[in-house]
Amino acid sequence: MIDIRDLTVRFNGAPVVHGVSFSVAKGESFALVGESGSGKSTILKAIAGQARDWSGTIKLDGESLGRTRDASFVRRVQMVFQDPYGSLHPRRSVDETLSEPLAVHGIPDRDGRVLAMLDAVGLSRKFRFRLPHQLSGGQRQRVAIARALMLQPQVVLLDEPTSALDVSVQAEILNLLADLREEQGLTFLLVTHDLPIVSFLCDRLAVLRRGRLEEVTPVTALRTGQLTSDYGRELVARSAG
Amino acid sequence: MSLLSVENLRVRFPTDQGEVDVVKGLSFTLNRERLGIVGESGSGKSMTGRALMGLIAPPGRVTADRLEFDGIDLRALPESGFRKLRGARMSMVLQDPKFSLNPVIRIGEQIGEALQFHRRMSAAARRQAVLDVLEAVRIDDPERVYRLFPHEVSGGMGQRVMIAMMVALEPDLMIADEPTSALDVSVRATVLEILDDLVRRRGMGLILISHDLDMVARWCDRILVMYAGRVVEECAAGQLHAATHPYTRGLLASVPHLNETRRRLPVLDRAAIGVGT
Repeated sequence: MIDIRDLTVRFNGAPVVHGVSFSVAKGESFALVGESGSGKSTILKAIAGQARDWSGTIKLDGESLGRTRDASFVRRVQMVFQDPYGSLHPRRSVDETLSEPLAVHGIPDRDGRVLAMLDAVGLSRKFRFRLPHQLSGGQRQRVAIARALMLQPQVVLLDEPTSALDVSVQAEILNLLADLREEQGLTFLLVTHDLPIVSFLCDRLAVLRRGRLEEVTPVTALRTGQLTSDYGRELVARSAG
Repeated sequence: MSLLSVENLRVRFPTDQGEVDVVKGLSFTLNRERLGIVGESGSGKSMTGRALMGLIAPPGRVTADRLEFDGIDLRALPESGFRKLRGARMSMVLQDPKFSLNPVIRIGEQIGEALQFHRRMSAAARRQAVLDVLEAVRIDDPERVYRLFPHEVSGGMGQRVMIAMMVALEPDLMIADEPTSALDVSVRATVLEILDDLVRRRGMGLILISHDLDMVARWCDRILVMYAGRVVEECAAGQLHAATHPYTRGLLASVPHLNETRRRLPVLDRAAIGVGT
């Protein structure tokens, strides 16, 4: 589904991701883990088209992507951000937020689709005309996930989707993501520093350090503590505290 | 006599729907020990910390049957009295150093400001005191860091600077409100070690406020679990996993593990907890 070869991303000319290669199969849930500054979010940005200065190849479903992203790309790939307080327009109701992608892409039956999506992400229909500040953090993140799914994408890029939430709310959102992936056959590319989340939600993970790939391994290796790179083992040790 | 004694603490805010108690009758005592307060957003844990520091601004109101810090009645203390206490005798470390440091003042000068406010000392002595305290929080090159601006240091370094600022005057009580949640997992342990070391060595009382149960269990002696403004459970840190209250048990169960194989994570059943708002 996503195939990345020799990806180097630069900011102001300075490379922050160095020749990273990995691929994510259709329907797979893949994690990029590492500390701040490891380049994990930057890779996501390069795929999403937010970081423009990159070299190498990024293929989506076998087709090489250029510098810009068109309407057919955003219908297939959507993103959920870390902070549900910052990623929703404060003056737009849930209904407007969810309808906008449909309007932009000229998709009919907005009413029905918005209601169906509210049900799908477990938000009561009474929230439809609320503004973000009238919702809790968990409810907002449900809206952000709903917005990403409005165009029925195949791939969802998740940038630390639960790190701004309480553990109890995090559990609800993680369950929701796992359910939606199963129901809709979604492909996930998840960025996180939280290894237990990877263990819950992902099939494979890539460990990044200073913009370089340390290892790619199935999640079973994480669960049984059998990462091969020194740095990967160090991350696990720190995570276990 | 204990360092801090709190009885029936209430914090109240007026809203469109009438007055709302965000802390509903909290009681505890603290000696020179490490107390953890855990709970979710909105449980009142941060408001408790702020109330102790006298930082609840009107229209918020704080009431208590007893609120004493080292024999001083905080209920009757005017703002000028709090100013003498804050920094010198009780300090607070907040979540994100990006927002708690002044972006246009050099780090050394910011730390020195507290010393200048509370103690008479020469500029040279003050500078030396700042360098000493930077070294105490394990900053390798204090001379260099002294001259830096906050945007020139990392999050972990920034939080160490905050801690340096807070311990510069060797307070008796330190309140750390989510001191590591804005930091990378890899530097969290270092920051907590430094805090822990200072608390032990200087014999401070510590209140560690966090939503992270495991972290609090590891770094504290005693834990209060708060839900909807009330303490629902109090236990020794080592006994957290034997907690009995359904809320505490629910919170513990909802945390994913490194060797997670559950297909679904259990979710809190708030109706069953029965202490709702």
